[in-house]
Amino acid sequence: MLLDAGTIQVGSEQLEVSWFLLLAAALFVLGAIGVLIRRNPLVMLICIELMLNAVNLTLVAFARQLNNREGQLFALMTMTVAAAEAVVGLAILVDIFRVRDLEDVDDLSELKG
Amino acid sequence: MQALALAILLFPAAGAVFLGVFNWRGSRLLTAFVGPGVVWAAFVCVLILLAGGVNQDFTYWTWIRSGSFSVPFDILIDHLSLFMCLVITGVGGLIVTYAVGYMEHETDGSYARFFCYMDVFVLSMLILVLAGNTIFLIVGWAGVGLSSYLLIGFYYWRRSAVVAARKAFVMNVIGDVGMILGAFVLFVSYKQVVYGPLFGALPKSDGGAVELAAFLLLVGGIAKSAQLPLHTWLPDAMEGPTPVSALIHAATMVTAGVYLVARFHVLYDAATYAHAAVAVIGAVTALFAASIALVQTDIKRVLAYSTMSQIGYMFLAVGIGAYSAGLFHLLSHAFFKALLFMAAGNVIHALHDDQDMRHYGGLWNDMRRSSVTFLVGSLSLAGIIPFVGFFSKENVLGEAFSRGDALGYSVWLIGFLTAVLTGFYTGRMWWISFWRPAAPERPVAGHLHEAPAVMLIPVAILAVLTTIGGALQVKAVGGWALVDDFLRPVLGEEHITAVALEYVATLLTLVLAALAFAAAYNFWIRGSWNVDAWRARLAGAARVLEHKYYFDELYDRAFVRPLDRLARLADREDRSVIDTGVVDVGTYTERSASSLSLTQTGFLRSYVLVFVAGAVIAAGLVLWRAQG
Repeated sequence: MLLDAGTIQVGSEQLEVSWFLLLAAALFVLGAIGVLIRRNPLVMLICIELMLNAVNLTLVAFARQLNNREGQLFALMTMTVAAAEAVVGLAILVDIFRVRDLEDVDDLSELKG
Repeated sequence: MQALALAILLFPAAGAVFLGVFNWRGSRLLTAFVGPGVVWAAFVCVLILLAGGVNQDFTYWTWIRSGSFSVPFDILIDHLSLFMCLVITGVGGLIVTYAVGYMEHETDGSYARFFCYMDVFVLSMLILVLAGNTIFLIVGWAGVGLSSYLLIGFYYWRRSAVVAARKAFVMNVIGDVGMILGAFVLFVSYKQVVYGPLFGALPKSDGGAVELAAFLLLVGGIAKSAQLPLHTWLPDAMEGPTPVSALIHAATMVTAGVYLVARFHVLYDAATYAHAAVAVIGAVTALFAASIALVQTDIKRVLAYSTMSQIGYMFLAVGIGAYSAGLFHLLSHAFFKALLFMAAGNVIHALHDDQDMRHYGGLWNDMRRSSVTFLVGSLSLAGIIPFVGFFSKENVLGEAFSRGDALGYSVWLIGFLTAVLTGFYTGRMWWISFWRPAAPERPVAGHLHEAPAVMLIPVAILAVLTTIGGALQVKAVGGWALVDDFLRPVLGEEHITAVALEYVATLLTLVLAALAFAAAYNFWIRGSWNVDAWRARLAGAARVLEHKYYFDELYDRAFVRPLDRLARLADREDRSVIDTGVVDVGTYTERSASSLSLTQTGFLRSYVLVFVAGAVIAAGLVLWRAQG
């Protein structure tokens, strides 16, 4: 329809791949804008998760369309990495919260040139 | 026998490695055993080889192979190398044993270091004489230079010692360059490095290559043997401990030049001019050094100049083709010069390292044993019968005299004058230091401690050898010549029958040398001749002698200072050109880095913005390409 990227069989329905791609793009842009405009580090982490999951959605959609398992495996892989990343990121944040009262990531600019 | 020949080298090598690597903190007693022990072990090996009548070139393996050029690792055992080995390990062993007592005040680390260096010295010298080819010879040659550097600079915290060590090293390297070039000329001309085939390939007649090689090797010889004009390092080498002086002057190092000419006698027999140059350099150095010794006040410096002078005799001998006479004087000199240095060392040791003879005196009463041995050495040095110095010196002068040509007579005349001067300065040294009543400046006024047994016994052995050694070679009518006979297989010399006039010459030399020795008594003890008056009368000559003929000053002006100025100039240019350039590179890098670092704002969201913008542009490009 929109991008003419083929269809996926879901149950008895044939769904256009373009819908999935558009949804993923919308999620990704939302995430990116969130990272750009929000200053709360926790919200920024959530936005990054949103972007990762948008990518996952495209991977899964294409995998389904092309009947290829690798895309799905890749999505699982991304989730694992995302979990690890969340752990590390949150740990760093907790540590920063311990030493100072942080509201804004822009306060963390000691290493500027 | 093959293993035994190698063992001569392996013993000192193992000793040096042991003392250098494992024994820095080891026990003193062990050092005192290992240091001299390995030299004695090598001595025993030499004796066994000698008793076995071995006379062979042992090849162990191919050392260097490059195309058609190959150098074997070979050790040449013949009567010449065994003769040299006997001197090196025998007299050297006595000296290293003596050092056990002499160096007792050193710290444990220095003690081990000293014996390590001494063993390296003996090892290098043994390589030098045992080498069976010119390449291996150069290894020993350079090794002797290195170990002398280490030992002269042994007290490295004294500036003068470091300067003296450096001077010796530089002078020796000049000689090394000559040696290497000489070996190179021989190889290029005759395609041989192993002695046997090389000497076989040499032409019997004179020629350009022969002369060039002989002269270049001679440069190496005169540097190592401290002959004119590369002699200035030897007196300064007195900065090392006294056993080092004894080792350098008696058993090793300075005799290397004499050995070199004797070993290459086939070459020198062919090269007429280079051969005559050896004799002339030796004769001139003998007289030159003896005259300087007349005015020196440091006892070790007098001995140093006397060494130069006696090595001059040896050069004179090998220069006129009397090789075995030169080697006999080498042997005799090794005995009495080691004796003199070690007896002087006893005195220096007892007088708290004071070496100025004017501060001595009264030693005949206070250190009787050392004094007697020193007297034996002095009389031998002065060439008084029946000590070994008389026989060997007369042997040299007799050979020169009986040559019967202009060269022979002229070097004999110089040698004769030198013998008289030798009698005089030796007498001066003896009477001033030992016989005179104690000087008021003497560091130890009262009773002196005679040296311990470990220092006295080696001196005593040498004193006995000095006294009876002359019996080896009594060339009067119906006499014998054991040294000549021993070396004849290598040197192939014929006996020269003495002419009647030679006995007159010998007698003249002996009487005048003895009178000169006695004359010194009149000058410095009885005072019947006034030293100061004579000195005033000969003020000009005395000044020249005190400045050692201005050689040091000349070298300082001609080489040291210009090079120093060049170095300063280079240093300045280095700072202003090269250093500035390097610093500029750093400055500009730093400056551009600091302006680039302004892009690092520290705001996380601005980084993300750049990142996203980059991603959008990249994706746009991909899509655009896909469309197009």
